Amino acid sequence: MTFNDIEIMFGGQAGDGSLTTGDLIAGVFKRMGLEVYTYKDFPSRIRGGHTNYVIRASEHRNYGMADFVDGLVAFDLEAVEAHITELRPGGFVVFDSTSETVPGPLRRPDVTWYDVPLAKIAKQDLGLELVRNTISLGVLAKLIGMDPAIVRNDVTGVYQRKGEKVVDLNVRAIEAGEAYVEKHYAEWPSGYGLKAREDGDRLLMMGNDAIAYGALVAGCRFMAGYPITPATDVLEWMAKYLPKFGGVAVQAEDELAAINMVLGAAFTGVRAMTATSGPGQALMTEAIGLAGVLEIPIVIVECARTGPSTGMPTKTEQSNLNHLIFSGHGEIPRVVLAPGTVEDSFYISARAFDIAEKYQCPVFVLTEQALCQSKATLPPLDAASVEIDRGKLVTGPVVFGDYRRFAFTEDGVSPRVIPGVEGGMHLAAGSEHDPEGVITENSLNRARMMEKRLGKLVSMREDLPEARVHGDPDAEIAIFGYGSNRGPIVEALERLERDGVAVRFFEFRTLWPFPEAGVADFVAGAKHVFVVENNYTGQLERLIRYVTGPLDYMHLVNKYDGKPFRPIEIIEAIERHALLRGPGERVAELVPLKAKRL
Amino acid sequence: MTATLSPKDFATATPSWWCPGCGDYGVLSALKQALAELGKVPKDVAFVSGIGCSGKISGYLHSYAFHGVHGRALPVATAVKLANRDLTVIAAGGDGDGYAIGAGHFLHAVRRNPNVTYVVMDNQTYGLTKGQSSPTSATGYVTGTSPQGNPDAPLNGLAVALAAGGSFLARGFSAHPKKLVELLKIAIEHDGFSIVEVMSPCVTYNKINTYAWFKENTYYVDEAPGYDPGDRSHAFDVLLDEGKIPLGILYRDGRPTLEALMNLPERPLAALDLNSSKADFASLLRAYR
Repeated sequence: MTFNDIEIMFGGQAGDGSLTTGDLIAGVFKRMGLEVYTYKDFPSRIRGGHTNYVIRASEHRNYGMADFVDGLVAFDLEAVEAHITELRPGGFVVFDSTSETVPGPLRRPDVTWYDVPLAKIAKQDLGLELVRNTISLGVLAKLIGMDPAIVRNDVTGVYQRKGEKVVDLNVRAIEAGEAYVEKHYAEWPSGYGLKAREDGDRLLMMGNDAIAYGALVAGCRFMAGYPITPATDVLEWMAKYLPKFGGVAVQAEDELAAINMVLGAAFTGVRAMTATSGPGQALMTEAIGLAGVLEIPIVIVECARTGPSTGMPTKTEQSNLNHLIFSGHGEIPRVVLAPGTVEDSFYISARAFDIAEKYQCPVFVLTEQALCQSKATLPPLDAASVEIDRGKLVTGPVVFGDYRRFAFTEDGVSPRVIPGVEGGMHLAAGSEHDPEGVITENSLNRARMMEKRLGKLVSMREDLPEARVHGDPDAEIAIFGYGSNRGPIVEALERLERDGVAVRFFEFRTLWPFPEAGVADFVAGAKHVFVVENNYTGQLERLIRYVTGPLDYMHLVNKYDGKPFRPIEIIEAIERHALLRGPGERVAELVPLKAKRL
Repeated sequence: MTATLSPKDFATATPSWWCPGCGDYGVLSALKQALAELGKVPKDVAFVSGIGCSGKISGYLHSYAFHGVHGRALPVATAVKLANRDLTVIAAGGDGDGYAIGAGHFLHAVRRNPNVTYVVMDNQTYGLTKGQSSPTSATGYVTGTSPQGNPDAPLNGLAVALAAGGSFLARGFSAHPKKLVELLKIAIEHDGFSIVEVMSPCVTYNKINTYAWFKENTYYVDEAPGYDPGDRSHAFDVLLDEGKIPLGILYRDGRPTLEALMNLPERPLAALDLNSSKADFASLLRAYR
């Protein structure tokens, strides 16, 4: 019997309510005192198409999926077909047997099968097929021992706004699910159980919400954006809350407008942001260059998904790193920050606004679908700890003629006035300009201006979020990674440590300007270096190679199928290259795990 | 409040890059005159321009001037207004900036109706890239990129704006400074998105739509008997008429502004104290407990 360590997957068709049920389960797990991580794997359509929602609960905070799924709730055969290989031996399947049966070859003998006619019960006993999700929650609650009082309380909470009738229907659906298990499977345990712990003062929050909350707390009062998966949550959150704090959120006609609005608001002295994903980021490129040359502080949240072009809009990838760092004509100072957890999403987002304003340049917050649309339990976010430093912002009068908006200074940052300030009138031009702002093609001025602007990349170094080094600092096995991979990498590291294998992990939180000194220090003494990232070409690995030069013991552990890493994939790569085989091998692609699992 | 300013107070020391005789000089001097007569002060004027000959204008008007990327003046200007509603916000650009690369934003600015004035300096050609056809060039107009004659129909920007819900549409002529100053003053005072399209001849590249041509082919609607700028269908009639080009205030209404519909606070966003109300933030976390 396994207690308090379980990964549930809900699989069905988009629009059938499995996301709502998944959220409900995550909430119940949290209130039972467990640490939760969720991962949404849904198609880019509203109705139909296979969707699944993974909810992981354990006593340890993991920030990622486990090696295997423990319990699959399959609303159709397609869900079984798609995910049966991901099940842990000893796991279980709840299958809606109303109109389909699972053919023999798919019926793995090493898992427990619970055939429940969910749709039939919903229709015949409760009069509404839609509630089969809630029935499945009742089934699951009974099978793994979810607290019945919390389940009822949460179901009531979720459906309250739809009225008493709907609440009553869903509570009866829970009961129907529980009753079915009692009647048919009382002697057939799932092998999984839960023991409630103290919930404590914790949150269950999605990465995008943490980013938005961080922005609000950091004083962002203007957001413009254009809906795009998986970034839309940020605009929706800001549209809801910004007006309550005197701010404004605008849904622009496209990303070109959105980023130019952000520039306009920031030029006028308001902390401003946008949030987008790859395709929108591409459209924003020209204006981000303008922000660089006009020295306007802006924050751009990039919620990466698979590309190029439309790619797979709802799937995860880390293939936009090069784009954020190198896109655009001409050269500008820019910062790329990447949180590794939901909690860090808040702190990094808040920090981005200070860095933008202190160094008067665009700052990217880079995240990806597997983190920004995932929920996790975390300690309360400390809004009071966020201090606001507006840098060289000038709000009092200046003497016209003496004041120079683009004055040369030691750190490259010039005092910045905003419209309305007496004496500070000037031209902010995307054309090259002199310290006063007057357009000029004078070559001496051009060279000095370039040095002033790009020099900020050096003067800002001390202010940038530091990488986090996990594990044994003297370990011979070293891993680099960032973003959503922080979860599976740390988990792999901890498990290897338990097996007596020392590992260290460099979690980037600033990706540009590239932390060259930190990277060089970290690789010193390593016998094997692994770079874990979700893209084909090894974008992070190449940046590291700029610093280290070619290393024949550097291994790229990459994945580009739209899915996040599971810890076993990282462990296997390390075993293969660092433990079983000698150095010198480069992994182009991992051996599919399916064969091994079956 | 300082003593009433003169147009000279809105001048910059920067010498103009425009060709001698360019229609844009008339637009610039009319703008300076209008701002002075309205009692505006440079520190409270935000002036946003796009790219092209017309886009240069922001460098010549003493104010908080923003010379951004091609075609995006209106999103910038809209946000400047939202960020600080106390500012007088004016955007300016040419027919290429506003009706070609920026056409999308033009429509949406019209829909939103922010209290921003947009001056479209229309010379029916691309000047800064040396005389290609523009969205307002006549069909058949021969240029380097249309050696067999421009195959496209000219865009009627004001008619499009009227259809999209424009709340203030006017057209002036840069060679009629007095009239232009009046139009600009009324436009700037209009509470909503006010468009002033100005016929601004290019003396270097456009040998067809010259000063003489405009004098011959335009008329003021207020000189026509019974013209009512509050009558939308009347405005459509004159805008769609293929005869002479109508000048003057073509249409105006009092539709609510973006600021009003967003319930934008009276106090500018730019003046908010960012360190206040920290305690309120913690309460937002209740939804996640």
